[in-house]
Amino acid sequence: MTDSQISLRADSLPKASLSLERRYSLLGLLLIAPTVLVLSAVIVYPLCFAIYLSLFSIYTPTLQGSWVGLDNYAQVFGSGTFWFSLFVTLIWTAGTLFLQIVFGVAMAVILNQNIFLRSLARSLVLFPYFISTVVAVLAWRWIFNDLYGILSFILIKIGIIDMPLDFLGSMPNAMVSVIAVGAWKFFPFVVIAVLARLQTIPEQLYEAATMDGAGPIGRFFDITLPQLRDVLTIVILLRAIWDFKEFDLIFLLTGGGPLNNTRTLPLIVYQEAFGLNRMGMAAAYAVAMMLIMLAFMLIYLHRARERPA
Amino acid sequence: MTARQSIKTIAVNLLAWALVLVISFPLIWMVVTSLRPQSELIRIPPSLIPKGITFEHYARMLWETPFLRYFGNSMILAVSTTALVVLIGTLGAYSLVRFTYRGRETLATLVLFTYLLPSVVLILPLYLLMVKIGLANTLPSLVIAYTTFALPYALWLLRSFMAGIPEDLESAALVDGASRIGAFIDVVLPQALPGIISTALFTFILAWNEYLYALVLVNSDQARPLTTGVMNMLITSFNIEWSLLMAASVMMSIPLIIIFTFLQSHLTRGFGAGGVKG
Repeated sequence: MTDSQISLRADSLPKASLSLERRYSLLGLLLIAPTVLVLSAVIVYPLCFAIYLSLFSIYTPTLQGSWVGLDNYAQVFGSGTFWFSLFVTLIWTAGTLFLQIVFGVAMAVILNQNIFLRSLARSLVLFPYFISTVVAVLAWRWIFNDLYGILSFILIKIGIIDMPLDFLGSMPNAMVSVIAVGAWKFFPFVVIAVLARLQTIPEQLYEAATMDGAGPIGRFFDITLPQLRDVLTIVILLRAIWDFKEFDLIFLLTGGGPLNNTRTLPLIVYQEAFGLNRMGMAAAYAVAMMLIMLAFMLIYLHRARERPA
Repeated sequence: MTARQSIKTIAVNLLAWALVLVISFPLIWMVVTSLRPQSELIRIPPSLIPKGITFEHYARMLWETPFLRYFGNSMILAVSTTALVVLIGTLGAYSLVRFTYRGRETLATLVLFTYLLPSVVLILPLYLLMVKIGLANTLPSLVIAYTTFALPYALWLLRSFMAGIPEDLESAALVDGASRIGAFIDVVLPQALPGIISTALFTFILAWNEYLYALVLVNSDQARPLTTGVMNMLITSFNIEWSLLMAASVMMSIPLIIIFTFLQSHLTRGFGAGGVKG
């Protein structure tokens, strides 16, 4: 008798197990209790507290404040600062996400071939995703350095520019640099997801297409891409959410400059709270930012629940 | 193999490795810079090929900067966060996968939702809270703050790992008279162990790399982890010494390299599916 037969019988045991069932669900609740407690304390409560804070005017160093109602929100939505920052955030998100997807899919397809030392190549490609953003930013700021940086040197050598470029201190260079470094740091996530999916596409599909006379490009668009549709939807949603809320990379590369031209919404929240010492305003910015993200989050939750892991 | 095929193979290999080298160039350059004498770095124009190798920057970083203290802090932080989160998460994930009770699905969705929340929103109330209960500027404040992202992450990973364990063995143990807890310890845990280890390693990486909470909640060298500590070395130095910073960057990546070699096989095999779902 196989194990599955036993389990089938165990499932259909007499109804006398009702009290056992109840005991089981009590045990289940007991096991989840620590999770619920911790998440309530560190997430649910702070989240409600943040919304509450947004209705006050609070001076960060003393934490003294007074009730202002919806004034903070009126200021947030009434000033150009928020809308410009939202615009900057969308440019950053769209730009870096686009590069991540294109390079991620391309690299996954290449790493799926039988290349020399494949597992070493994979490790090297995936590694930027696992290092600290601090390390990534330091490495890039050294490459971008205006005096001794290797990038300007190489670009001059091959004749693209004739003067060292200011990669982070002027526009549009700063935005392009931030988007590029973001793509470099986060595209391996796309590679991991797509590579795992590529390995499950049946070889027969390609053989059949080859016999029908499809070339490599035709095979990519007719077979690979449709097969990747589901995984790409999830990856795009996740990365859109994560890129939208990215703080470390932009803060450490440009600090939002030059002249706030790369200051995304998360950076404003930080600056309001700990630079301008306006905790209430910061909370209002944070809540506004979350409302925008909520749309993406709900779509993602919907998709993720449709196809549970 | 025909001549045309082998030319194609060579072309694909060349293209692939050229791309791999371009992608890893920033990190290779970081290692190269950390090993060159200072005099070679501040030369215009810069040179690509190092003439000499020196470990002086590593020695200076270890003995003349607070690097080792930061490293210790990061280690304590990452290990305690991981231990806490994996313990709570394993129990929680088991409950979510194997038990039925009201609100279970809602709870699972909420966990996923919290996993998507921006830290910059939670940091404001958490900062006020830490100041109020007097934990600001301590390592425990960071452990508490890190559970906000580490617990949902670990729970979600563990949940997908545990969902993949067949129920048969557990049911058989129950039929044989084992208690639910007994079956969990004797049957489920051993099977879930690879998943638990991967989850622990991923959580460690997250905690090791965290920057924003450390920036806001800790403002003293006593409790500062590597991320903010090394950045502080950049900001406070009058004369930026890039070789020193690159050496620090390399050193702080070494634990990750070790973990990465363990995880590598998981990443490109079955793990991918779980990784996508987060």
